Amino acid sequence: MKFKGGYNVLLQGRPGHSVDVMLEPKVLYLPLRTDRFNFSDICVEDGQQVNMGDTLATDPGNYSIPLLAPRTGKARLNAAQGHIVLEDITRYDKQPKTSQASLPHIEHEAGASTANRDKMVSLGSWEFVSDAYDGKVPDPKGTPQAIIVSTISLEPFVARGDIQLQNRLLKFTRGLEHLQSFLEYQPIYLIMPKVKSTFSSRVKEHVRGYAWVKIIEVPLKYPNDNFGILARGLGLKNADGPVWCLKTEGVLAVDRALTIAHPSLVRIVSVGGPEAKNPIHIKVMTGYPINSIVERYAAGENVRVIDGGMLTGKTAGDQALGISSECRGLTLMTEHTEREFLGFVRPGFGRKSYAPCFLSALRVKFKERLTTAIFGEERPCVDCNFCEEVCPAGIMPHLLHKYLYADLIEEAIDARVDLCVKCGLCSYVCPSKIELREQFALAQDQIEREKEETRLDEIKQEKRRMAEEARREKAEQEAQENE
Amino acid sequence: MKFVLKIFKSVKPNFEEGGKFKTFLPLYEAMENFCFAPSTTTQLAPFARDPLDVKRFMTMVIIALVPALAMSYYFFGARLIAMIIVSYAAGGMVEVLFACVRKEPIAEGFLVTGMLFPMILPPTLPLPILAIGVIFGVLIGKELFGGTGRNVFNPAIVGRCFLALAYPKAMSGNFTTAGTEIPGRMLEYIHAGNAAAHDAISTATPLVLAKQGEMVNTVDMLIGNTSGSISETSAIAIILGGVFLLLTRIANWRTVVSILAAAFVTAAVIYNTDTTRFAPPMWHMCAGGLLFGAFFMATDPVSSPITNAGKWIYGIMIGVVTMLIRNFTGYVEGVMFAILLGNIIAPILDEIVFKIRIGRLKSEG
Repeated sequence: MKFKGGYNVLLQGRPGHSVDVMLEPKVLYLPLRTDRFNFSDICVEDGQQVNMGDTLATDPGNYSIPLLAPRTGKARLNAAQGHIVLEDITRYDKQPKTSQASLPHIEHEAGASTANRDKMVSLGSWEFVSDAYDGKVPDPKGTPQAIIVSTISLEPFVARGDIQLQNRLLKFTRGLEHLQSFLEYQPIYLIMPKVKSTFSSRVKEHVRGYAWVKIIEVPLKYPNDNFGILARGLGLKNADGPVWCLKTEGVLAVDRALTIAHPSLVRIVSVGGPEAKNPIHIKVMTGYPINSIVERYAAGENVRVIDGGMLTGKTAGDQALGISSECRGLTLMTEHTEREFLGFVRPGFGRKSYAPCFLSALRVKFKERLTTAIFGEERPCVDCNFCEEVCPAGIMPHLLHKYLYADLIEEAIDARVDLCVKCGLCSYVCPSKIELREQFALAQDQIEREKEETRLDEIKQEKRRMAEEARREKAEQEAQENE
Repeated sequence: MKFVLKIFKSVKPNFEEGGKFKTFLPLYEAMENFCFAPSTTTQLAPFARDPLDVKRFMTMVIIALVPALAMSYYFFGARLIAMIIVSYAAGGMVEVLFACVRKEPIAEGFLVTGMLFPMILPPTLPLPILAIGVIFGVLIGKELFGGTGRNVFNPAIVGRCFLALAYPKAMSGNFTTAGTEIPGRMLEYIHAGNAAAHDAISTATPLVLAKQGEMVNTVDMLIGNTSGSISETSAIAIILGGVFLLLTRIANWRTVVSILAAAFVTAAVIYNTDTTRFAPPMWHMCAGGLLFGAFFMATDPVSSPITNAGKWIYGIMIGVVTMLIRNFTGYVEGVMFAILLGNIIAPILDEIVFKIRIGRLKSEG
């Protein structure tokens, strides 16, 4: 498999190997909106006591993916905006008990596969599956052309696969078997790092017996773990159907749901970045208050909390109170405040750049202490071609930028703005500080919206045509009857 | 440096909306951001950015020019400094004027243009002519196209081309001999008036002499101990700075390699047809502005093609055309015209490569 572009940003604060277990907090804040989901269908009443694993809300737009209660507690709907607050109550039921009411479909007389799919949805493991092309949740009833399972995460910093796999290798392979049961002859691609470590050889040993698992070794360069890039590299075409993509935690969640019918309520997320006192992985439940994590791990006051990795995450603003069900890591960045005097002529011994324009180029690899500084003003594109060099998707960001700047959306479609995987590298390296990633994301949204509109228009026209036809037929009939 | 920041803060209200000098806000902003890196932070992912910005980008070019500048200072004297100052002042004025009228920030591209322009001129060119040249170059070569990043031509080359056509005598008669004594001309200020007193007679450049059948020693041209435009004479200094520019990846190696290789091959072919009439290829490499043009002029990212394939063709074309002009036309030096020609076809080359690549992308996924 061949990879284009890519670049490893050296950021200080890579989370270490150990996993910290956090104390159970008094109150959980479960966000109703995450990147992909909008849990608008609320299933509980204000003040209702819920058991661990109960469905609090579902997302009607995404195959009713549930938001599960990570523990027993009293649900408050109006305590914080956009969140369901789960207050601690004396635990009266320690066993995770999935109430029968929340799993009605299992009783249906459906095939084993259908029952399993329903189980995956209602036990919250379907949310770990995404489509390779648009990143959305695929239809659980469908059959994919392939499944890609990635054990690596290269973005600084999200939870690493090898950490999650520790002591869970058997569960992981069992999860792969479960996934295979959904397929007929399609393969499962297992993405492994192209490094020799005792751990990776152990994983390989475990899956050696499975003929349907194809191990793909990938060089450790961001964003080679991106599912869109992987699917394209594997020669999977968008037109041939969905490609299910899972990360390590997804496979473990599938195993948990299908082997012991338990929901996955505890997740491992990373806490890293230059401002993290002790970069580490932590085991938390969904809704864990972000504030208390930050308080415990942030080194200073001047910290920006990012939900997700440094390159593709989003600022966890004041609105986000708790860890969302999709969170894979918190990156703590130093907020930039100081203005450097004559910064652009400094030697920059501790400053790593894509183009070796600082003295640091003479140094061996080091971890850079990046802040949230933009380091300059936005300027017109100077055609340095760095964005094209780093682009993993093989598109031409500079050209797309010029098209979008001139509002030439048709040309941008021709130049395949849809292939952009939003890895953020072009924005990162751009010396003119142009917000390329954002522009492409907006363009993609616009194209998607327009497509949707034309589709709706077509449906409307079709309906009108049908109505017209029916009326005419009716009139003809009446005329015949009159005769 | 807190007090400087304080000064900036105290005068800022004058430049803001309702202030006395609000038209000059771009100038103020440029000054402030020149001294202090802006305090803006990332609002959108990615949340950290590469520390390289356009200011640093342009600074690297200036640093790469230092060896050539030092050599020219040694050989041609202190007048170089006056020329640089005039160039920055006159060109900067145009830049500021346009920024104020357009209400756009002042772009850093001029830092390089203002430095490059005097370096490609005869050492005793009268200063008013230099000022006219740089104003023309910045105005016609850049601002009319929309400023840095949108110009089709390299502004410094446009300015020089204008001067060569408008003041042919001044542009060809002011090539003084380089200082050969040990201290060079470091303490001398030589202009057209006192050149004779300093034993700096106007002489023909090596390329002119070659047309007359007189070959200048290649070693002299390597060091820079000949007459010529201020900074084009010392091949070693140019290569030193140029390699630095390639290593920092500000200039693309493809452009440089293709120009030099194409020029070398063309010169070799021409030389072998008639070894008595034409100069050997190695001599051509060191003579005139070929090296300076290849490393510093043709590599200007804005006016050269952006695609790698485009860069190869662009470079080959410049190299070949330069040698053809040098050997077969009435002009003795062809780099300037070759680069201008290259600038013209650069967008077309890009367009062709884009078409091919988009066609290839279409069939994917």
